[in-house]
Parts: sequence; structure tokens; C-alpha cells
Amino acid sequence: MNKRTFWVIVRKEVADYLHSWRFFILVGIIMLTCLGSLYTALSAISSSAAAADARIEFLFLRLFTVSNGTVPSFLSFITFLGPLLGIGLGFDAINSERNKGTLSRILAQPVPRDYVINAKFVAALAVIGTLFLALGLLVMGLGIIVTGIELSFEEFLRIISYLLMSLVYVAFWLNLAILFSVLFKQPATAALAGIAVWLFFSVFYNMIVELLGNALAPSEVTLESLLNYESIMMFLMRLSPSYLFGEVTTTLLYPTVNTLGSSILASQNEMFMIPDTPLSFLQSLLVSWPQLTAMIAATLICFAISYYIFMRQEIRSRS
Amino acid sequence: MKATLKKGLVMWLTALLLMLTLGVMPAYAAGELDLYTKHASIAVTPGEKISYSLEVINNTSSIQTGRLSVSGLPSDWTYSLQSSSYSIDRISVKPESTETITLRVEVPYLVDKGTYSFNVNVDGISKLPLTITVTEQGIYSTELTVDQPNLQGHAKSNFNFSAKLENQSADTQNYALQYTAEPGWRVEFKVSGDSVTAVQVDPFASQTISINVTPPDQVEAGTYKIPIRAVNNDTSVETELEVVITGSYALKLSTPSGVLSADITAGGEKKLDLTVQNTGTIELKNINLSSVSPTNWEVTFEPAVIESLPAGETVNVQAIVKADKASIAGDYVASITARTSETSDSAVFRITVETSMLWGLIGVLIILVVIGGIYYLIRKYGRR
Repeated sequence: MNKRTFWVIVRKEVADYLHSWRFFILVGIIMLTCLGSLYTALSAISSSAAAADARIEFLFLRLFTVSNGTVPSFLSFITFLGPLLGIGLGFDAINSERNKGTLSRILAQPVPRDYVINAKFVAALAVIGTLFLALGLLVMGLGIIVTGIELSFEEFLRIISYLLMSLVYVAFWLNLAILFSVLFKQPATAALAGIAVWLFFSVFYNMIVELLGNALAPSEVTLESLLNYESIMMFLMRLSPSYLFGEVTTTLLYPTVNTLGSSILASQNEMFMIPDTPLSFLQSLLVSWPQLTAMIAATLICFAISYYIFMRQEIRSRS
Repeated sequence: MKATLKKGLVMWLTALLLMLTLGVMPAYAAGELDLYTKHASIAVTPGEKISYSLEVINNTSSIQTGRLSVSGLPSDWTYSLQSSSYSIDRISVKPESTETITLRVEVPYLVDKGTYSFNVNVDGISKLPLTITVTEQGIYSTELTVDQPNLQGHAKSNFNFSAKLENQSADTQNYALQYTAEPGWRVEFKVSGDSVTAVQVDPFASQTISINVTPPDQVEAGTYKIPIRAVNNDTSVETELEVVITGSYALKLSTPSGVLSADITAGGEKKLDLTVQNTGTIELKNINLSSVSPTNWEVTFEPAVIESLPAGETVNVQAIVKADKASIAGDYVASITARTSETSDSAVFRITVETSMLWGLIGVLIILVVIGGIYYLIRKYGRR
């Protein structure tokens, strides 16, 4: 009944991850792609800085967003591969233990049952968090060395919060994978289910929404119907976690983005606005706050569901 | 008796000889040609051109030729003798006949009132005395007149005078246009829209010159005289313009600190302190405050109208800006204008709209509810 047992399990889980081939493969993929994107960003940033010889605000943030077209940017890589990392680390969390019969052995010890699932979650999160922080700092450090651009405190805040949001995003997929690993007895089924959901949201969901959008498009064009249509489409898009994550990262890494709402209503105000003025960090955070809330809440709810199911499951020693 | 007869013969012979000798000489002898005109005395005004029709009469039975001349005219008068479009000074007339010639006399503009007599001579002998009566005093050859030489206005207005420059001489004249004014005053001469410093006027013609007078910015109220001149080698004409300044209207709209930016929460209210200063030299009345602000924003002023503001005084006004609830975060431009019927000034504010923290708190609340749910789950199932 003490905290030490919990941290013992966490430490063991982290050690397990760090010794697994699966982790090395995933880290290898992400490292390579991110360094590749950093390289293209570095080559693109000098040309974009030269093109507009006026002072570019938040030039450093472009290291994460800019690309010369050959390799996607850091931002899009994380959006695309983050879920894979989460699913990869979480899909066999519970069911492999169960299949190997180790789960009942652990629980034979004086260990509360929820320590197991909590520790699995915390361990995976710790590994991913360390990895992302390392990646982010690596990009920052290399960026400073190569470009010589100063890093302002606000840029630093934005990058750190972006990394934290990436962590939340990956945590969502991790929780989903843990949920599947609780639900399905076979790790392969859980992995496939996780990958199916990931593929659905990253590839097919846009197409489905587009089809729906074509069907829903208003026959009569009035301001009212357009606004209505736009809000429906936006609601549908925001059901996708990757879209939410995209919106959050856009506001964090592009300080001039000042709204995620209706573009029609935004254009009304344009006349009196001074264009391209960056928002403060807090304002950017507030602009994407609903999305942020939704992501954090979705992650926590996923965790709560898997926790609930796991706690009510029967655990027997393997016969 | 015989001796007296002889004496008489000698005299007669001598006379005959004389006559013969004279008869051989060309007939220059006076008296053969006479002159005649109907208008022996006429009345004219200065600048007029008189054309006499003269008849030259030959009463003899031989052709007569005579030298024509005019004497007794003042030196600045001009004349000419013409016959069938030629200028002549001698004329021949057939026996028992008359010839018509024309005598043109130009009366100058610059001439005194009075009667002038002169003669037309044939071979130096006066044959025709003529009289010209000038009925008016002659005028100067250049005249500069201004229709309305006195104008009134406030310090920021332009004064437009219209002057007429008349050249009454027979020559084309070039005039330099000059003015004398205190430093800071600007005087501009314009002819048909173009600025000029000199002007050319055809003989007996006139040129309209508009004169644009701009007073200095901070001119005091009062009456100012500006002499203007049109000068050339021969003449100089001068007239005087009078400008009456009633005082300048100017005001300045700013804030007490000079800062023209503000933060506002979307849907919120913000009070901006403004100062309205009368920088003119005259009291301003009914200063209206108005604004140009983004759609669905409300800007009200306390007070909305400043009844009167003496010169040099400053008054504080409060603007209450109410941003639209649906305003997107970002920097907006709103301009506030203080206006009287004479002058106005505006200040452009950069207003940064911030999103309300309310929804942020609601988001935090939602997350707290979820965490609370998990805590409940752990409490319920955790320690089995």
C-alpha cells in the first residue's frame, strides 16, 4: 500500500520499453524523420528569411513548421507519427501480460490492481515525454547552432507548450491503445484496432467529411445558410483528434493565427484589423483553449474507460 | 516826256526779263495748290485716332507739285499722310483738278485736356489750320485695379484677390509682379491657373491676375496690408491688398500620456482618457466627438459635445469603447475625431482585443470534472 511499489512497477515498465526492439524501431523512425525535416527546414528558412528582408517575427518557430517541399515539416511528422508511437507502446500493455500469465503473478503480490494499469500509462508517458522533450530541444539546439537566430522567451514557451500538447496527443492514442489492450485478448487484434482508428482519422475521415460536405452544401446561398453549413462542417472536422491537434499546434506555432472560428465572421472584422500582428502567448493559448480542453478531456476519458473496464475484469491465473 | 517813257520801258523790260527767268524755273512757286477739309475743328478723347480727308486743289492751268508737311503738333503725337494706301510727302495735281489725301493723327493716351492747333503746309506755307480739342484728361499708360481689395477670414483660410492690369500704351509691355509682406506670408500671382512672377500684356489690352494670399500658420488676428506692384522700365503701378485675420481655428486630440494603444477584452468595456486642446487663437464652439470603429463596436463619449473651449485650454473627455462579443483576438484600428465646423483632429488608436478568460475557466472546469471522475473511479475500484 505504499507509493514505492507503484514506482517500482513504473521503473520496471520503463526498463522494459527501453530494452525492447519495438521502441528502438519507433524512435529510429521518428528521429530520422524529424532530423530530415529539420534539415529541410534549415535550408528553407534561410530562403524565406531572405525573401522578406523585413524583420520576421518568430522566425525560430518556422524551424518547426517550414519545409522546402521534399520532406514534410517537423509539425506534420509529429502529427502523423505521434499516434503510431502511442499505439506502438500501448497496444500490448495488458493483454500480453495476461497471455504470458504474469498479470496474475503480479497481482499475487500485495499490489493494488490499479497500480498495474496506472504504472503502464505513466511509464509509457514518461518515455514518450522524454523522447519528445529531447527531440524538441535537439531541434532548438541545432537550429540555434546552424542559423544563429536568437530564441526569445516567448518562442521557447510556445515550443515547450507545443511539445506538451504533442505529449497529450500521443497520450490520447496511448490510452486508446491501452483501452484496446484491455478489451481484446490478442495483442495483434488490439494493434490492428488501434492502427485502424489511426488510419481512419488520419486518412479516411477527411474524405468522409468532404463527401458529407458535398451532400450538405446549401442549395440557397445566404449568409445564414453559409454560416450554418460552415459550423456543421467545423463540428464534423473537430470530431477528429488529429484535426483538434492541428488547430492547437497552428495557434501555438503561428502567432498571427487569431481565430479558429468561422472564416466568414472573421472576414467581417478584417477591415479594421491590423494584419499579421502576432498574439501574445497567453492569447494564442486562449484562442485554442476549447480544442486544448477537448484533447485533454478525451485523453482522460479514454484512460477512465480503460481503467474502469480493467478494474472490473476477472483475472485468473492461466490454466 | 521821252525820258519818262524810256524809264517806263526799261522797267517793263526788266519785269519781263524777271518773269521770263522765273518762268524757266520749275513752278515751285506757292499759291498754286490749296488745301481743304470739312473738319476744321474736332473734339476727341485721349487715345483716339483721327482721320482727316484733305482735298488738294490745283487752280492753275498747269500741273502743280507741292511738298506737304504738318507743323505745330506736340512732339508725342504722331501723324501720317497717305494717298491710296501710300505714305507720301509730296503730291502732284492735274490742272484745274483736286486730289484727296488722308491725314491720320493719333492722340496719345497721356495727354492734357485742352485745345491743340496745328497746320498743314504746302511747301512750308501754311495752307490749312486745324484744331483738335481733347475733351478729357489723358490717363496713365498702365493701370492696376483690384475689385475687392479687402478680404476677411480666419488664419487657415486662403485669400483670393482678383486684380486687373491694363496696358494703355501702344506697345506690348512686360511687367514684373512684386509684393511686400511680412515674413511667413505667401503671396502668389496666378494667370489662368498658373503661378507667375511676371506678366505680358498686349497694347490696349488687360490681363486678369488672381492673387492668392496665404497667411502664416500662427498669425495673430488683425489687419494686414500687402502692397502689390506691377513694374517695368517705364512704369510702376501699385495697389494695396488688405487682409483681415479673425483668428485661427485649431485643435489637438490626444491622450494625457500620449499613448494611443489600449487593451480590451472581447465583449468588454474600456475607458479611454482623451484630451482635447484648443491650439488655435480663437474660442472653439460645439466640438463634436465621433469615432470610426470596427463593426458592432460601440464608442460613446462623456461628454459627447464640448460646448466651448477657449484658446489654449485643454479639456478631458472619456471615451467608452465597447468591443463586440464576437471580436477575434488581435489588433484593431479605431480612430476618434474631434470636430468643429472650422477644424478637426483625429487620433488613431491601436486596440488589442483579448479573448475573454471565461471560456478558459470553463475549459479548466471540464478537465477538473473529468479528473474528479477518475478520482472517483480510483476511490471506488482502486483498493480492492
